[in-house]
Amino acid sequence: MFKNKIPLSVKQNRAGWMFLLPAVILITVMNFYPMFNALLLSFQSGKGASLEYAGLYNYTRMFSDKVFMQSMFNCFFYLVIQVPIMLVLALILASVLNRKDLRFKGLFRTAIFLPCATSLVSYSTIFRSLFSTDGLINTVLLKTGILQTAYDFLGHPMSARFVIIIALIWRWTGYNMVFYLAALQNIDYSVYEAAKIDGASAWDSFWKITVPLLKPTILLTLIMSTNGTLQLFDESVNLTSGGPGSMSMTMSHYIYDTSFRFVPNFGYSAAMSFVILVLVMVLAIIQMKVGDKRD
Amino acid sequence: MIKVKKFFIYAMLIIISIISVFPLYWMMAASTNTSFDVIRGKLIPGTYLMENIKNLLASNNLKGALWNSFRYASIQTIVSLIICSLAGYGFEVYHDKHKDRLMTVLLSAMMVPFVAIMIPLFRMFSSAGLLNTAIGFMLPTLATPLLIMLFRQSARSFPRDIIEAARLEGLSEIQIFFRMFIPSMKSTYAAAMTITFMNAWNNYLWPKVIMTTDDSITMPMLVANLKEGYVTDYGMLMVAVLLCTIPTAIIFFLLQKSFAEGITGAVK
Amino acid sequence: MKKNFLVTLLALVLSLSLVACSNGGEKPAEGGDETNGETLTVWCWDPAFNIYSMNEAAKLYQKDHPDFELIVVETPWDDVQTKLSTAGASGDISTLPDIVLMQDNAFQKNVISFPDVFTDVEGSGINFDDFAAGKVAYSVVDGKHYGVPFDNGAVIAAYRSDVLEEAGFTLDDFTDITWDEYLEKGKVVLEKTGHPLLSCISNEVDVVMMMVQSAGGSLFDAEGNPSIADNEIVAKSLETYKALKDSGVLVEVSNWDQYIESFQAGRVAGTVNGCWIIGSITSGDPEQAGHWSITNMPKLVGLDTATNYSNNGGSSWLLTANCKNKDLAYDFMKSTFGSSVEFYETILPSAGALSCYKPAGESSVYGEPQEFFGGDSIYQKVIDFSGKVPSNNTGVYYYEGRSAIADAAAKYIAGADLAEELKAAQEQVLFQMGQ
Repeated sequence: MFKNKIPLSVKQNRAGWMFLLPAVILITVMNFYPMFNALLLSFQSGKGASLEYAGLYNYTRMFSDKVFMQSMFNCFFYLVIQVPIMLVLALILASVLNRKDLRFKGLFRTAIFLPCATSLVSYSTIFRSLFSTDGLINTVLLKTGILQTAYDFLGHPMSARFVIIIALIWRWTGYNMVFYLAALQNIDYSVYEAAKIDGASAWDSFWKITVPLLKPTILLTLIMSTNGTLQLFDESVNLTSGGPGSMSMTMSHYIYDTSFRFVPNFGYSAAMSFVILVLVMVLAIIQMKVGDKRD
Repeated sequence: MIKVKKFFIYAMLIIISIISVFPLYWMMAASTNTSFDVIRGKLIPGTYLMENIKNLLASNNLKGALWNSFRYASIQTIVSLIICSLAGYGFEVYHDKHKDRLMTVLLSAMMVPFVAIMIPLFRMFSSAGLLNTAIGFMLPTLATPLLIMLFRQSARSFPRDIIEAARLEGLSEIQIFFRMFIPSMKSTYAAAMTITFMNAWNNYLWPKVIMTTDDSITMPMLVANLKEGYVTDYGMLMVAVLLCTIPTAIIFFLLQKSFAEGITGAVK
Repeated sequence: MKKNFLVTLLALVLSLSLVACSNGGEKPAEGGDETNGETLTVWCWDPAFNIYSMNEAAKLYQKDHPDFELIVVETPWDDVQTKLSTAGASGDISTLPDIVLMQDNAFQKNVISFPDVFTDVEGSGINFDDFAAGKVAYSVVDGKHYGVPFDNGAVIAAYRSDVLEEAGFTLDDFTDITWDEYLEKGKVVLEKTGHPLLSCISNEVDVVMMMVQSAGGSLFDAEGNPSIADNEIVAKSLETYKALKDSGVLVEVSNWDQYIESFQAGRVAGTVNGCWIIGSITSGDPEQAGHWSITNMPKLVGLDTATNYSNNGGSSWLLTANCKNKDLAYDFMKSTFGSSVEFYETILPSAGALSCYKPAGESSVYGEPQEFFGGDSIYQKVIDFSGKVPSNNTGVYYYEGRSAIADAAAKYIAGADLAEELKAAQEQVLFQMGQ
C-alpha cells in the first residue's frame, strides 16, 4: 500500500537486489547446483557407482514399490493429524505465555521450548520405554483397568504411528511457539486492552486479533511443518525403526535405506527425493496462494 | 471466577512444563548413575557423576568436540543471521512480482531431503579442499530459505514510515537496515538465533560425511561414537548427551527475555 | 542503545571470523593420503574392542618396525558406511583411510557396489585356511579374498544357571537340544520361576536369521536370487519364532537398550546371540556373577541340515583402494591379525575379542576358566562352536532380504498366512533388486 505513494527509484530497486545477493548466490551454489546434479542422477539406475541412463524408469518404478507407497501414506497420515494439532497448541501456548500478568514466564517458555533442544538419544529412549509392554503407559492402563493385558504399542501399525505423532507434538510444539512468541511482539499490546474494554473474551481476541495478525508467521510455520513432516526421518528411525515391518516408515527413512543400508541405488533415491520436492512444493504453493497476501 | 481461570492456566502450564522437562530430568539423573542403574530405569540421582565425567574425559576428545561444536555453531549463527535477514528484509521491503516469485523458487531449496544433494556437495567440497574445516561445516546451511522467510514475514510488520523518515534524513538503504530494522526486530533475531544455533549444534548428517579426523569431530558425532560399541556405558553417554543439550537451552533462556519487551526500540 | 548493539554485533563477527580463520592453519590433511611413509590410517568404532585390538596390533608390529605409525579414527559403523558410499558414489576416494572395519553382513554389498573403492588381500600371504571357513566365506568376492577376518560372531546360548536349577534343570538339559525341547523346558522354567528364557527386539529378526543360518539356510540361492518363498528353512524358523513368542518363553522388547536390560536386570533368564554379547552379560548386575553359563543354541526340528551352531554379527578388515602403501598394509595385517597367536592372546583377556583364527584357539589363554561363568572355559567353547557354523550366503542384497523378512514376520505374527507373506517378501526383494 506504500508502494504507490513513493515511486521506487532505480537506485532503491538496485539496493533491493543487493540485499538478496549473498543469500541467492549461496543457495544457488549450495542447494540448486547439487539439486540439478541429483535431478540428472534420478534419470539413471544401477548399483553403487555403476550407473546407466534409464529415462523415467525410476519415476515409474516407485509407484509399484509397496514400501515407498506405504511410506508416502504414512507421511501424509502424520501430516494431516499431527500438524494441525501442533500448530493450534503452539498458538494457544504462545498467546498464554505472552500475557502481561503471567508470572514465571521465562521458566515456562524455556520448559516448553526444551523438548526440541533435547538430544534425540535421550528422548527416543524415554519414548520407547514409556510405550513398551512393561512401560509406564501400560502400567497405568492396567492398574486403572482400562486394559486387561498389556498392549504392544510399537508392535501394531496404528498405535506405532500414533506414538510417532505424540512424539512429534511433544518435540516440536515449543519450536513453533518460539516463532509465534517472536511475532507476537510486533502486535501492539494496547489492541488487546482495547478489545477487553469492549467486552471481548480472551477466546474472542485470540481468534479475532492474534490469529489474523499472526497470519504471515502461521503461514511460515505451516510450510515449515509440511516440509518437515514429509521429510520426517529421526522419529521413524529412532522410535519405531519404521516398524512393525515398514508400517510406520517415512519416505526419508526409506530413501536413506536405499542409499546407505541396502545395495546403494542413488538414482532411485534421487527420484524419490524429487517426488518429495514436488509434493511439498504443491502444498506450499497452495498455502502461499491462500495465506501470503499483503492487505 | 478470574481466580479459577488463573488457577486453570497455571495448572495447565505446570503440567505441560513437567511433561516437557521430564526427559531432561531423566538425563540429569542418569548422568549421575552407573550404567547398570541407568539401564534398570533408576530415576533418582546417584553419586556416580564424577566417575562418569572422568571416564568421558579419559576416553574421548570431549574438549575438542565441545570447542568445535561451539565454534562452528556460533559463527554459523551470526553469519547466517546477517545474510538471511538482509535477504528477508530485501524480499519484503522492496517486494515486487519478481522477488515474490524468486522467494517461492528459493523455498524449493529446502524441500529436497539432504541425503539427495549430499553426494554432489561432497564432491564439490572435497575438490575445494574444504573437508575437515569449519567453513566446510557451515557453508551448505549458511543461507536457509526458512530463515529468509522468517525475516520476510516479520519485516511485514516493520512500519514503512520509519523507512521513509530515515530516507528523508539521508540514510542509505543499508544504513536503514542496520540502524532501524535490526534494533527493532530483536525478538525475531532472538528466535532466529536460537533456531539457527540449535540446528547448527545438532547438525549430524553433513559433518559425519565431511569430518574424517578425530580432531574435527562435533558433539553429536561424539555421542554417536559413545553408543556404537558392543557394550555401552549409559551413565557416561548421558553426561555427553546432557552436555549436548544444555547450550541450546541456556541460549534460549537468555534470549527469551527479548520476547517479553513488547514492541521495542525506535518503532512507534 | 542502538549503537551498542551494532558495535557488539560487529565485534562478535570479527572475533569469530578470526577464530574461524585460525582454524585454517591447523588443518593438515589427516585423511588416508599421507601413507607415503610408514603410516596407516584405520576407521573402526569400539574403543574397548576393535580400536583397542588395532592399537595392540600396532604396538606388536612396532617392535620390529619402529618407524611404523598407526592412526585410528573412531568412526561409528553407520558413519563408516555413509562415508564409504558417499566417497564411492562421488568417485573421490582420496578421503578414505587405508583400512576400514566392515560388518560381515555388508561385506559383499560394499565390494560389489563399489569395486573401485576396495583392494583384495590375495597378495598378503595370509593363510585363510587358518580361519573358520564360515567366517572367511563372508569376505570372498568373485573367488578373491578381500577381508582379513576379525571378530567372531559364533552364536552362543547363555542361561542363568541358578534359574535353571530352581526349575530343576541343569545346563546339560539345554545342550544339543532342539527348539521344541527348548520350548517345553522353557515353559517349565516360566511356570516355576516366572522368568522367560529369551528376549528379542521386535522389529529386528536376529533370532530368525540365526535359526535360518543354523540349518545352513539363506535368503538367497547360489546365483544370488532370493529364495524366500517356498523356503522350508525360513518357514520353519518363522514358525518356531512365533511358537516361542506365543508361549511366553520368548518376550519381545522394542529396542536394544531394553533387550540388554531384560537379562542384565534378571527379568529374562537367558539369551541367544553372537558371542560378542558376553561383554553385555558380564557388565550387568554384579550379583549375577558366577550364575551364568554358556552352551550351544537349540536346533530346528524336522530338517536334515539342522545344527546347533550359527553366526550373528562379526566383522572383518578391508583395505581401500586409497591405500598407497599396500605392501606395508599387507605385511602389517599378516604379521598381526593374520598369523600371530601372541597377538590374539593379548587381546582376548583385556578386550574379550574372540578370534576366528584357529591356531589361537589352542592357546592356553582360551582355556582359562572364567569366574563369571562359574569357572567354565567359555572361550574354548566359542572357538569350538565357530568351527562348526554352517557358512551363510549373505548375498549382495542381504539387508533387503532382512527387511522383507521383518515385514513378513510382523504380519505373520499378527495373524496373516505364512506362505502368502513369504511370497510377498520374495516379491519385495525381487522388486528392490530391480527385477
